[in-house]
Amino acid sequence: MKIVTKAFLRYLFRRRSLSVLQLLGIACGVAAVIGMGLSARSALSSFNKAIEFLRGSSTHLIERPAGPIDEKMLAQLMQDPSVDFFAPVIDRRVRLTDGEAIHVLGIDPFLDRDIRPEISRAYFAEMGRSEREDHFSFFTDERSVLIDSNLAAQLKLGPGSRLETSQGVFTVINTFKNPSGEPLILMDIRNAQKMFDLKGSIDRVDLIVNDEAAFRSRWEKGFRIESKRQRQETLTALLYAFKLNLQALSLLALFVGTFLIYNTAMFAVVSRRRDAGVLRSLGARRIEIVAAFMTEIFFFGILGGALGAVFGYILSRFLTEIVGSAISTLYFFLKPSPQPWSLLTLAAGIAFGCIASLLGSVAPLIELILTEPVKAIRGRVAYRGGKRKAGKIALIGLGILCAAAIFLLFSFYHVYIGYAGTFVFLLGVSLFTGFTIMFVAPALKWVFSRIGGIQGKLAVANVRKNMGRTAVAIAAFMVALSMSIGLGSMIESFRHSLIWWMNSQLKGELYVSTKGDADVPEDFYEEVKRVPGIGGVDTYRNVQVTFRGAPVYITAINASILQRFTRFGWVSGGNENWEPVKQGSVIVSESFSRRFNIKKGDTVTVEGIEGAVQFPVTAIFYDYTTEHGLIMMDRSTYIRHFQDRTINSLGVFVDPRYPERDKVIAEVKKRAQDRNLPTATRSELHNTILSVFDNTFAVTRSMRVLAIIVAFFGIAGALMTLFVERRREFGIYRALGFSVRQIAGMTLFEGIGMGLVSFIMSIGVGTALALILIKVINLRSFNWTIFYHFTFDPYLLAGITAIAASIGASLYPIWKVYRTYPQIQIREE
Amino acid sequence: MRRPEEQKMKRMESRISRSVLPFVFGLYAERRTFSLRLRYTICEIRNTTLAKNLCHTLFLLLLAVLVCAGSVSSADWEQAIGERAWSFPRDHGSHPEHRTEWWYFTGNLADKSGNRYGYQLTFFRHGIERTPKDPGNPWSIRDIYLAHFTITDVSGRKFWFAERTSRAGPGLAFSDMKGLNVRLLNWSARMVRNVIHLSARHKETEINLELVPQKPPVLHGHKGLSKKGPGEGQSSYYYSFTDLATTGTIRTPLSKQPVHVTGKSWFDQEFGSNQLSSDQAGWDWFSLHLSDGRDLMLYFLRRKDGTVEQASSGTIIEKNGASRHIRLSDISVDILGQWKSPKSNGTYPSRWRIRVPSAKIDLTISPYVPDQELITEGSAGITYWEGAVGGRGTSAEREVTCEGYVELTGYAGNIGGIF
Amino acid sequence: MVFFYMQPVIRVTDLWKYYGDDEQGEPALRGTSLEVAAGDIVALFGKSGSGKTTLLNLLAGLDRPTRGRIEIEGQDFETLGERGRTEFRRNRLGFVFQFFNLLPTLTAFENVSLSLELAGRPDPALARTTLASVGLEGKESRYPHELSGGEQQRVAIARALVKKPSIILADEPTGNLDTHTGTQILDLLVNQCRHAQTTLIMVSHAMITCRYARRILEMVDGVVTEDRSCEAPGP
Repeated sequence: MKIVTKAFLRYLFRRRSLSVLQLLGIACGVAAVIGMGLSARSALSSFNKAIEFLRGSSTHLIERPAGPIDEKMLAQLMQDPSVDFFAPVIDRRVRLTDGEAIHVLGIDPFLDRDIRPEISRAYFAEMGRSEREDHFSFFTDERSVLIDSNLAAQLKLGPGSRLETSQGVFTVINTFKNPSGEPLILMDIRNAQKMFDLKGSIDRVDLIVNDEAAFRSRWEKGFRIESKRQRQETLTALLYAFKLNLQALSLLALFVGTFLIYNTAMFAVVSRRRDAGVLRSLGARRIEIVAAFMTEIFFFGILGGALGAVFGYILSRFLTEIVGSAISTLYFFLKPSPQPWSLLTLAAGIAFGCIASLLGSVAPLIELILTEPVKAIRGRVAYRGGKRKAGKIALIGLGILCAAAIFLLFSFYHVYIGYAGTFVFLLGVSLFTGFTIMFVAPALKWVFSRIGGIQGKLAVANVRKNMGRTAVAIAAFMVALSMSIGLGSMIESFRHSLIWWMNSQLKGELYVSTKGDADVPEDFYEEVKRVPGIGGVDTYRNVQVTFRGAPVYITAINASILQRFTRFGWVSGGNENWEPVKQGSVIVSESFSRRFNIKKGDTVTVEGIEGAVQFPVTAIFYDYTTEHGLIMMDRSTYIRHFQDRTINSLGVFVDPRYPERDKVIAEVKKRAQDRNLPTATRSELHNTILSVFDNTFAVTRSMRVLAIIVAFFGIAGALMTLFVERRREFGIYRALGFSVRQIAGMTLFEGIGMGLVSFIMSIGVGTALALILIKVINLRSFNWTIFYHFTFDPYLLAGITAIAASIGASLYPIWKVYRTYPQIQIREE
Repeated sequence: MRRPEEQKMKRMESRISRSVLPFVFGLYAERRTFSLRLRYTICEIRNTTLAKNLCHTLFLLLLAVLVCAGSVSSADWEQAIGERAWSFPRDHGSHPEHRTEWWYFTGNLADKSGNRYGYQLTFFRHGIERTPKDPGNPWSIRDIYLAHFTITDVSGRKFWFAERTSRAGPGLAFSDMKGLNVRLLNWSARMVRNVIHLSARHKETEINLELVPQKPPVLHGHKGLSKKGPGEGQSSYYYSFTDLATTGTIRTPLSKQPVHVTGKSWFDQEFGSNQLSSDQAGWDWFSLHLSDGRDLMLYFLRRKDGTVEQASSGTIIEKNGASRHIRLSDISVDILGQWKSPKSNGTYPSRWRIRVPSAKIDLTISPYVPDQELITEGSAGITYWEGAVGGRGTSAEREVTCEGYVELTGYAGNIGGIF
Repeated sequence: MVFFYMQPVIRVTDLWKYYGDDEQGEPALRGTSLEVAAGDIVALFGKSGSGKTTLLNLLAGLDRPTRGRIEIEGQDFETLGERGRTEFRRNRLGFVFQFFNLLPTLTAFENVSLSLELAGRPDPALARTTLASVGLEGKESRYPHELSGGEQQRVAIARALVKKPSIILADEPTGNLDTHTGTQILDLLVNQCRHAQTTLIMVSHAMITCRYARRILEMVDGVVTEDRSCEAPGP
């Protein structure tokens, strides 16, 4: 190694504590990205595996546009010359006692053999257990199921065990290996039909088709035919917005991380500046110095990146679970298994570390290159410019903010532009840090001198004087706090909008069954209607259909009931919007309207059982149930066009004039219980929805914490930098008679001062970020309007975090003060 | 005195019933050693000692267990006992009161340019529960239907086989009781008036054939009661159309397009409930069309001890349709060659000299293609050899050629690796 | 000693230097000129802020004059360019600073080696003997903070001498040392330069420097004047 390089690198060992802080800062930033990325990958890959496993070797599937198919079509399907193999499937879910919804597949093991050989092997293996009493229990015993070995291990079940579910108790007759992360229960098709009350119907048929075009031409009418690839795309599309958000969150953490690296690099430049000057006077070329400096940067990048990869890997194991549970509550059940450790992860970590290091060190590097050796040799170069410079940087910041505004304005092209705008915005405001310090310093000085006397006053002066160091750390911390406030406010606003929505739409006194549970038999609906005191019963049916090649949902409801008992959040108009719905028109959700640019008065074309049907859109309503878009129509309309009488759940409204409301509810409850149907009161349902909501944002919350941890290392690093840089100054303080305690106090005040400035800035920036998230990001990625709602909590949390983190970050420098201050002397060198 | 015997029967039954299709696929399970004596002169079939645990592996096979032990007793099913009043075409149809039934089509065909083909299309019905619990639901299982379909391309020296399994389901498989009309998914055999229509497609192999009987049905054994062992009920009802003029098309992965073919087919229908005894190891079955218009059917049930079951026999059908039962003592078979399957490691006899002195028949036959072995995974889970054969010799002191099908079971026990 | 006429190794003509972006304010150098012969040992006195260090930096090519011309060994600095000046510093120039300016993370030996490495001729043995010649045998592997001020300056001198430069510029080499050590350092520096026929320009406050210099110059308000008396005003 060149001696020049050696000269630089030895600093890292000499200033171990600082190096460790810097390293940890980078590592945490990288860990956030890697952890998030890995868990997103686990989710997606186990999702793909689950699809792959369930699809088996089928090339296509055929199903009704909505609802189940009459099984008689199988006899025609088997005669079709384009069909090599087919397997009917009943695809449902049951809930375990802990509330988890598990996929249940009702199959015919004989027909399934050519589609899903692995599964049928499990079944045949079971049959082959010659010591078993009854080889046909899978067929003959209605409660017999096979469960996958992962689920079996998780629930500690084996052959012969009983499995309690929302559909009653199952007998596990055997387990089978399932390579995907999705738990699976298998039962015979006959038993599945019986359990889900599907006499004569199946949900879909998986096919191996040898001539797609010919097959489509014969079967297109009244059916939906989806190739394996289409299916995969449809399902992946479901996760699109979710995935995007995960990525953006992790990038935000890296963004904060890059700030830290900038901080680190800047410090490296400063502390090497004199050495650089000396080297120049000895005849070293600029390029040699830059190379030495880059070696140091890359050293940090590589080591920090590698460390980050390891942290990230550990983090991912924890995040994967959260991501999985968020996906499960929002979309479909998934239990992603964490990605295995691979050298690729390490490489990715190192790459991220190096890229971030490079980005973070561009500015310091330029400064290093431009430094005149003469000035450098003189030793310390004070922060240049001060007030004027801060103003100048703020002006640049203003320019960047304008750019951000342009990005945000153009975000309708793609949500990526919105994300870019958000980052640019954060970059822009962080350039205001110096300006803000100048601005708030007098006030802060006044406050701190009241509290902390001379140390407090000096601390503020130090923060201000060393703006070159402190501004970056403050900016990084500010961004982290703003993220916390912004995400917090967004979540709170969202929650508030959701509550508003629930109170407008979900006004039933009692709900019988919910989506994902058992369907409600039609005769039960008739039965409930006849219970005395009932004002109305709304039937709810929700199916996924394809609209313009994208997955959307159709919800069939009872328009006249909803008109009487609810008050939807209409984008325009009022409950008179229901009138045309009763006549066969539809209303669409805001997300649908925005996503497909469908306005009131347009028509939507959906494939029905008799071919394409056009529905006029009479109104648009606010909805937060799905970002993919919702078409709502009256049940009669739905049955006419889709011939699907399934009811997923009932909303029961009691006649407002009826005296004994509680009695009515109790009666319906009792009858539902007799039918083994779950019920929920309005408040129970609302609570369930809110807990789903909160679960969904668990990922977001963990990223908030991570950003703050990253920023914490930033503050600690900045304080350490200040401490190291001002050893000589400390000598003067000591000569002036400052006690150790006073110096420690000063360090503490510096930390708190930085935290406070960060917090003050983050109040404004965080609010702006919340608005951007609500008005731009959410609107673009989920197509729904969240109404901004101010809550105090995120700010309070950020304030506490700021103070706590800055105190925490000061602890190590204070310890260093206590340890080294008594030996510090006034020395030039 | 009845009680111990009853118990013995029960025991036997349960052992027997482990085999899926008695007669067709039985015996594999308990097979341990056998060496053929008979007059299998050249062939020194090695003593294949199957470890006991291998028997269990065998049982992993779907159908090897389909004949459930325990709860479903074979006592529910009617046995093939006594003479039967045959009535056609009704008796071409299904006999659901019997547990097991099959419709067996084999044929030797040729196209215009003389390329020879063989095919086999077999439907099995195997009863599970005589009265299913939920008869209203078409998915509830009364019978399991299985089918095997093979095509042999003699010139191309290729052999393809496929299998299907299904329960009746909503129109997926059935067998009519009124006449010959069996279907399993997109494979079917149906007799309309005097013509049997066969149709089966599996990926690129396909047949569409019309079979017209040239001789009346031949009742084997004693008026159609064919003994498969010494015990009562160890029999089946068994008749054949031994000479079916065949026309139609055949498609293989080699031909790509359907090829017009003509030739002769053979149809066997057999039903019963329980015919095998546990000491039987397998059987060799021959169906031959002689060029002088005679047809010959022979079967040998091999016992584990290497002897041949005395119930083994044959039938000779004259050109005019008259048939005659042939006893084992009237038959002599010499094995002239053997073939070892690279897939199953089973060693099969593969060239025979067949003599029936009483009919003045002396034939030497060999397979058209050595490898016509079926290693079935899903439906029967059993490995056997069934293929087109041909040869020449003398019949009633005249030079004749012959073609036909041979079925060899119980030679390959090793199905390891299937599950 | 016989004096031959020699081409001056340093020739400075009408040198002006302003700090800052424009030519406003007081210039640090106001059109000074100077010639130094090869092998000469020159002491440059002057008050703080008189422009001594500025001149030295310009001579080292570390900084560029606002106006005027510098020729070293007959080559114009301006035409040499940045690259040429760096080359010159590498091979022909040694620098000794008041605050030693050793690289704190390198050992004494590495500090000296660095000089050779930069010049493109690494030679550990030479570095070792040079360190020995300044009296630091056995202290090669010490870091600067483990050495006394005098020792550090010896390392600095070794660093300057090791590459056998034609010129050594010393900026207050004794300014940070006590008198005794200062004398030792000057002894060492001057002797080594004499021995190697190296031109030495020392900027100094200390009168003791007079004793070692062949030629004494004084800087007054940005202009160099010849002062043979060596009675220059002290610091």
